[in-house]
Amino acid sequence: MGFIMDGLDAEGYDREYSDGELVRRIISYFKPERLRISLVSLAVVLNAGMDTALPIAISYYLDRLQQSPETFSAVQATFVLAFIASLSWVFNFVRQWLSATSVGNVTLTLREEAMNAVTERDMSFYDKYPSGKVVSRVSSDTQAFSEVVRLAINLFSQLLIVVLLVAYLFTVNVQLTFVLLAISPFIIFTAMQFRTIARKTVTNSRRIMATVNSHVQESVSGIGVAKTFRREQMIYDEFKEVNNKAYSINLLTGYTFGSIFPILITIAGLGTGAIVWFGVNIAQDSILTAGEWFLFIQGMQMFWFPLTSISSFWSQFQLGLAAGERVFALIDAEPVVIQVDDKQLGDIRGEISFENVNFHYVEGEPVLDDFTLTINAGETLALVGHTGSGKSSITKLITRFYEFQGGTIRIDGVDIRELDLHSYRTKVGVVTQTPFLFDGSVLDNVRYGKYDESDETVIEVAKQVGGGDWIDYLSDGISTEVGERGNNLSMGQKQLVALARVLMQDPAIFILDEATASVDPLTEALIQEGLDTILQGRTSIVVAHRLSTIKNADRIIVLDHGRILEEGSHDALIAKGGHYADLYNTYFRHQSLDYIEGVGAAD
Amino acid sequence: MAVNQQRSEFRVADAKQYNQRSPLIWMLSHAWEHKLFLFTALVGYLIGYSAFSYARILIGEAADIILNPTTQDAVIRISVMITGVLVLDGIGSLLGSMSTETLANRLERDSRHELYISLLGKSQTFHDQQRVGDIMARATDDVRQLNFTISPGIIFLFDMVLGFAVPIIFIATVNWQLLLVPFLFLLVYILMVREYNTRLSPVIDEQRNQYGVMNAGLEESISGIEIVKVAAQEAFERFKFGKNAKKYRDLFVKQGQIEAGYLPFLAYGIAFGLMFLHSYYLYSQGILDLAGVIAIMGLMGILRFPVFISLFSLSLLQMGRASAGRILKLMEDESDIDENTAGHSGTIEGAITFENVSFGYTDEHTIIKNISFEVKSGDTVAIVGQTGSGKSTLTQLVGRTYDVDEGRVLVDGVDVREWQLDSLRSQIAKIEQDVFLFSRSVAENIAFGVPDAGQEAIEHAAKEAQAHDFITGFQDGYDSEIGERGVTLSGGQRQRLALARAFLKNPRILIMDDSTSAIDSATEDEIQKAMRRAQEGRTVLLITHRLSQIRWADVILVIDHGELVAQGKHEDLLRTSQHYRRIFARYETDLPELEAAGD
Repeated sequence: MGFIMDGLDAEGYDREYSDGELVRRIISYFKPERLRISLVSLAVVLNAGMDTALPIAISYYLDRLQQSPETFSAVQATFVLAFIASLSWVFNFVRQWLSATSVGNVTLTLREEAMNAVTERDMSFYDKYPSGKVVSRVSSDTQAFSEVVRLAINLFSQLLIVVLLVAYLFTVNVQLTFVLLAISPFIIFTAMQFRTIARKTVTNSRRIMATVNSHVQESVSGIGVAKTFRREQMIYDEFKEVNNKAYSINLLTGYTFGSIFPILITIAGLGTGAIVWFGVNIAQDSILTAGEWFLFIQGMQMFWFPLTSISSFWSQFQLGLAAGERVFALIDAEPVVIQVDDKQLGDIRGEISFENVNFHYVEGEPVLDDFTLTINAGETLALVGHTGSGKSSITKLITRFYEFQGGTIRIDGVDIRELDLHSYRTKVGVVTQTPFLFDGSVLDNVRYGKYDESDETVIEVAKQVGGGDWIDYLSDGISTEVGERGNNLSMGQKQLVALARVLMQDPAIFILDEATASVDPLTEALIQEGLDTILQGRTSIVVAHRLSTIKNADRIIVLDHGRILEEGSHDALIAKGGHYADLYNTYFRHQSLDYIEGVGAAD
Repeated sequence: MAVNQQRSEFRVADAKQYNQRSPLIWMLSHAWEHKLFLFTALVGYLIGYSAFSYARILIGEAADIILNPTTQDAVIRISVMITGVLVLDGIGSLLGSMSTETLANRLERDSRHELYISLLGKSQTFHDQQRVGDIMARATDDVRQLNFTISPGIIFLFDMVLGFAVPIIFIATVNWQLLLVPFLFLLVYILMVREYNTRLSPVIDEQRNQYGVMNAGLEESISGIEIVKVAAQEAFERFKFGKNAKKYRDLFVKQGQIEAGYLPFLAYGIAFGLMFLHSYYLYSQGILDLAGVIAIMGLMGILRFPVFISLFSLSLLQMGRASAGRILKLMEDESDIDENTAGHSGTIEGAITFENVSFGYTDEHTIIKNISFEVKSGDTVAIVGQTGSGKSTLTQLVGRTYDVDEGRVLVDGVDVREWQLDSLRSQIAKIEQDVFLFSRSVAENIAFGVPDAGQEAIEHAAKEAQAHDFITGFQDGYDSEIGERGVTLSGGQRQRLALARAFLKNPRILIMDDSTSAIDSATEDEIQKAMRRAQEGRTVLLITHRLSQIRWADVILVIDHGELVAQGKHEDLLRTSQHYRRIFARYETDLPELEAAGD
């Protein structure tokens, strides 16, 4: 809008793209809209012309009225004035109509491009950009960037009026025009001073208000606890103090902002006074007519507000460009996982082999070093180890979410880099530690990706998990709405849905990152029964946290800093009394029946 | 209903009362509290507009002086007067603006204060039902919105009303006949604005809505990108997003189109021309002189601003009203439970009885269905069931967080509704799933229920809760601050601090929601020790996932869909309950024979 206090945050932006690059790029997005934009520019110029013409026409008719009343036609004057005003409205209409369409279209294109780029990126991209930031870049930064053009057009239009008016006034009387212009440095200077003061005030105020707000939030969310302990008075006293503090800070900010316009109005008023003084004197020497003098007064009114827009324009412009840069960072991000071929594998047996694989997320911090492992088709493999030992990384390489730096990974003997990723991934089923569900029904989630299947088929498959009792436990059965991210369901129920989804997908390779979060024992029993079903007949790699998982696995691998320390079955490894036995004691002992029975016998 | 008519669990002696009959009246009642500033704001803006309008008249006179030159004195005088009047305008505006800011900020502070007192007075029932996020939004965003409604909302309103009224009054002083065109314009203007808003508001609402939808869908696709990728659904997610984004674009464009066609500007332009015509007519009749015409055109020019500002003011006022409405609704929610100061009091032994208890949060949906059981003093009761089965709800009936719909809950043989609420609750402690700790020191958090507890008592409680070791492990020990600026605690550590807090209070009945995950066996040992301590000498209702706790409880209650499907000790339930057996079926124990009398 070009309001004087807009864009105060533009300080301190580190930028990689130059202003010129960004401007050129935004212009390229407006290319498909060039017809509309040219019309908009034309409309802007004509609008400015009409807005300038109106006061000039008034002054002309005032003079005619006073000097030669016999030739004066009131009807003509009225008609002309109304006509000019109407034209001005029409041009403004055209400009707003067309620019809304252009900006809307360009924003849409930017958004779609950003979304395309984002969905194609691999997981290393998502490590760098947390999802919240990505979302705000696609939704709001795109909008801010497109608005840069609207901003520029706005400013241009306002300045054009000023330029045209001043140009005309120069032809009327040079001296008085200079008087008029003399006010501008005062206006601009005052506006900029205000921005400096305001910026400081706003920054301080924002910082303190953040603290105050978090105190308010804490005392509001702590009310429950305070009531439990009957300590309402204490929490009330605290709140009162914080609330009053917020008041003083906000008041100060409010006073700062509230004084801008009155002060600017006063300066404009002094300017008008000067015009009156000089104008009357000049007019008395008969160089200026009454109408022209009136025009200068009107000019003063129209003149000072656009000047304040100049002071805020540059910062707003910078903000818009910064937004654009954030969007382009998304679009321009280099893909890291690159396939060299697109072989389709048909029915995969599920044999996976790692051959001397080197892998790191961050340069200089190796996760897997010369790692070799063969996983047989249909085998259930459990991975155990401390945090950071490389368990999850192995699974992420199998799903090809990350690129590894050395060695080879083969699926059924074929180099993983040569596969068609989309078709390969449909044959890999994944259940993460915190299963993610989409807003919709349980049925929709189980079916996700398999849209050709009928409802009955999906329900049949879902029932295979733990005998299907879990469906009855849901509030609405299979049609239960899971809510945003599945928040209407418990953690255990989410896992069951995720298992059903995998079963529906029927992959050759199954990857499970077992949840550590606590689940009620009834649901836990169902989950374990469900797991039994899934693990059969496919290659399964499980990052294990459950005792039953490691006990039932075909093979257990003990990892430490990306190397295999021990492997074998549970009983064999326990008997060895080595690393595995230690891990067992630390992480699994409390899950055993011995432990459960032992608790009651203690002290 | 005003605050003082509600039953309240907390009162402040000098709290101000406001009229809560409707959002508008409530806001006015607050504003009236600071009527001085309301008054000075009005005066300030009146001065401002009057000065500005009067200046137009003076400008007309100055034009006269140009046409009919008199003395130099007259020139000086008129210039000084005009300058003086315009400076007066600035001063008046400043007064108005400062007053409005003060009023706005006081309103924000006072309404937040009022809301807070009201919230403190609500029952536990109320707070358990509210989502903390919603309450927070009222206390922060909605209250802030009230501030904006006054400043700049009221300012715009003043601008609109005074911006019309004052120039029109001045026009009348020049010649009352000239009021014709402005009044006609005002009429037409009001109709146009009404029509404009009727067309625009739904579009703005829909647009805002659609932005939220687009954003939510986007957020979902990106948060779930792993799943999207393994299901190879990238194209589908893009398609979904594209649909949302296109719909938003259409609404965005529609809004721009409606805004483009803001007719009042057109009407103004035409009115301006007609005004000229009318003033000429009077001029030709000799009723008006040229100075008058110039004054009139100047005054008419002022009207351009209120036409412009009305674009913003109405939506601000609307949003303010909506916020006020939400805040009022929150405050008006009745507190169901009364303090019952005359009720039964005494030391609780710890026997709890449920007699045919049924309960539901709403009339349609019953959560607890006809549950009966008996717990002896000092027993540990493990409550087992799936999410939504009614476990937490059950425990909430003991401390009268809610009152039963049917049946009775007895503590020591006395219906809880007959207990003095304070006496009952002071002897019951609750440990929630999400342990809430204040941003203060560890010691202060532990001593929260017993503010005058000494360091010894605090440390003793911490030792019992197996928390002393990790607390002393922190750099500042018991003085370490918890929270964003302090130490971060794991789930297990928070649980143990909550236990310490409960120990200090030394309740007769402990209700505990034990849902922390068991990550490593060493911590697990600590937690087991702490829980054993907690169970000594008091009745404990334990919602837990830990098989070790369930196995050894004195009474196990198995809840399914609100019904009690099994109760008893571990050995009994293994023989009689199908539900219960399934839990232990995974362990290689040989389960005893299932007896017929089961479920």
